[in-house]
Formats: sequence, structure tokens, C-alpha cells
Amino acid sequence: MRNRKKMTVSQDMDLKPFMNLMVTLIPMLLISAEFAKVAIIDIKLPEQRGSQTKTAVTQQPQEDKSEKLLLTAIVTDSVVTLGAKGGFMPSLFYSEYHHYIANDDNHDFTVAYEPGKPVKHPNTGRDMTIYERYDIYLYTVDGETRQMIKTLYTSFGEMLTNANSEPVQQANVGDTLYALSNPRRVIIVKNPAEFELKPMSAYDELKNRLMKVKERYRDAEDGNDVIIAAENQVIYDKIVQIMDKAREAEFPNISIAKLRG
Amino acid sequence: MANAKGRTKKVPRNNDLNVTSMMDMFTIILVFLLKSFSSEGSLLTNADNLVLPNSVSKKKPQEVNLQLAVTNEMVLVDNQPVIPTEDVRKIPADDPDPSPPKLIEKLKACYAMEEEMVRLGAINQVQGKIVIQVDKNIDFDVLFKIMNTCGKVGYNNMNFAVMERDQG
Repeated sequence: MRNRKKMTVSQDMDLKPFMNLMVTLIPMLLISAEFAKVAIIDIKLPEQRGSQTKTAVTQQPQEDKSEKLLLTAIVTDSVVTLGAKGGFMPSLFYSEYHHYIANDDNHDFTVAYEPGKPVKHPNTGRDMTIYERYDIYLYTVDGETRQMIKTLYTSFGEMLTNANSEPVQQANVGDTLYALSNPRRVIIVKNPAEFELKPMSAYDELKNRLMKVKERYRDAEDGNDVIIAAENQVIYDKIVQIMDKAREAEFPNISIAKLRG
Repeated sequence: MANAKGRTKKVPRNNDLNVTSMMDMFTIILVFLLKSFSSEGSLLTNADNLVLPNSVSKKKPQEVNLQLAVTNEMVLVDNQPVIPTEDVRKIPADDPDPSPPKLIEKLKACYAMEEEMVRLGAINQVQGKIVIQVDKNIDFDVLFKIMNTCGKVGYNNMNFAVMERDQG
């Protein structure tokens, strides 16, 4: 448009071929795109039952056992316990909360789990199906009083511990705290209000304890192994979450065993 | 061109569609889709009514020989229903050998097929690899019996399929 008397020659690039390419490429990629990604978890056979490991385990000399860590996480419907070197850590009692997302109106709510009691939709009152159960939260409770234990969390949802890896309930300015990531992240408290007092997740405390074990017995012969022993009625979802925590705490060799009685 | 009204001489109107912004958008979409593109495609097929648990695991499924799916209703081997899950649940928990016979039969047939393929030279060795897709609401009892069955037949290399969590 510099000179109106001249024939205007279009300065634009001819985008039509490019457009054609886009119009075919985008549908093709949209079809082949995976939005929900599937991953896998490697599993070792339950040791006592595996056809190959059976003989190996029974023939092991007794003194050899003392050098091994033999880390075991015992899961029942209300307790998680860690055992290593033939001893047990204090049990972690938990109560279950189920997080539902309704299929029809996407209503999002969390209820305390009571065995045998059907869960109702808070607005419409219909029974919820187990397919709508999205997550299972385990909150740590006191073993006797069944009172929920609360602890401090960062805004990223990491649990805070002190130097002895114990969860903290209170933060003061100048305190040195550790956020539960792997490796632990040091936080010097500047503003205690940025932390939130929330019910302590049993998974987080389990991860904390597993990391403590890892830090102490890094050189153990079976320092990468953990056995998850579960009771019959434990739901698979919980086992997967516990396996996740074990992997986050650097115990990649996970095997599964059955808890008898 | 709103201010062209008041002028005496009309500025020649460009009748072409302005595609530049659309091109920008397309380019961004294309980059995003290329990023999420995987050449292998989906190796695992989902059975109906099967909700996999969420996990932080990032391990990608490799080449899969055999799939076993456990839903609340059925146990499926390679997407073929074999036995109702209720039958597995019914086996008493203290049974020393808690394996449903029909499932053993089916898995043995698959294992034999794999051995046959080794004999023919199609694959190098029997890997005994199995991918187990379990609904997240299945109890451990059923899972254990299924795993026990797989191990007994010779499928010692077990993998659990899970959904990747959105956030890192």
C-alpha cells in the first residue's frame, strides 16, 4: 500500500499448503494421542510361595539372616507396621476416609469409611458405587483414643519433620525443619503461618519411616528390598499407594506376601 | 477498518481471511500433540469396568506377551473372560493351594503356546512375563490367589498396570 497507483502485490506468504498440512496432521495426532497414560509396577513373587524362591528361602542358614534387613510392611485394615531386623516399629493406626466424585454431577466429597455402610450422595441421597470412589485417604489416629493426629504440611503437601524425623505440630520462627521429599529438604522457618496443620496421612508417615530405615541401613545386603504383607481384605489401591511410598523412599524391589491369621 | 468511514478515499479492503493467528494456534496445538505422541501406541487394552489405581510409577509398559485383567465381575486372560471373580473369592483363604483350576488350564495353554514359539524359533526364550491389570477395588485376597496361580504356571515376571498420576 505504499503506492496506490501500482497494482498491489500481496506480500503475504501463501499459507494455504501449510494450512492443508495442519488440517490433516492435527486430526491424525489427536486420534493417536494418549491422554491417560498407563505405567507398570514391577513385582517380585511372594517369597514363600514362589516356585523358584521356595527352596532358596528354606535352605538359608540362620546366621545369614541377622545381616539382612528383612524390611516388612504389615498392612491390616486399621494398622500399618514396619518391621526390620526382627523387630517392629510402633504401629501406625489409621482411619479411612474415602474420596468420591459422583458420575452424574461431579460432586466431590470425602466421607469417613464405615464397613458395611453404603455411602450416600450428600445432595440426592442415592447410593454411590465403588467405581466412583476416587481415592482412599488414611489418616493417622491415636491407637487408644482414636483421635486424629494432626501435623504440619507445607503448601506443596509435604509433611514436615524435625531433625529426628519426627512429625512436628508447631513451628517457630528460626526452627530448622525438613520437608518430606527425597532427599529431605531443609527449611528454616521464616513465617510459621505458611504451614498448615492437617490430619497426618498414614502414607506420609510410612514414607518418613521408610526413609529413616533407608538412611540408617543403606549398606544392608538387601537394602533395596521391602516386603509388603497384607491381610486378606486390604484393598488393592492401598497396596499400590504403599508400593509408591516404598519406591519414593528408594526401596525399588518390592515383593508381596500374605499375612496369615 | 472502522475509521475508514470518515475518509473520502477508501483504503482497499483486504478480503483475505487473516490466517496468521489461526496459524499460531495450530502450531501450538501441533507441538503439544507431537509431544504427547508415542509411536508405540497403547500396548495395553482396557477391559470394561476396570479402574486402575493411580500411581507415581513412570515405568512404561514394554512388549507384552500376556495380559490378565481382574475386574469386579470377571477374570480375563487376553480379553477373554475365563472365570467370574466371585469363584476366586469363594476359595477358602486358608487353602494351601488357592488356584482356580480353569484359570490354571487357560494360563498353561498360553504358556505352552509360548514354549511352542520358542521351539519354532519365533522368540528366544520363554520370558514368563505377564501384565496384571487389577481393578483398584479388588481385595488383596483375590489378588494373592491370582498371583499364586500365575507363579505356579510359570509366569514369574509379573507387572501391575497402573495409571500415571497427573501431577509429578
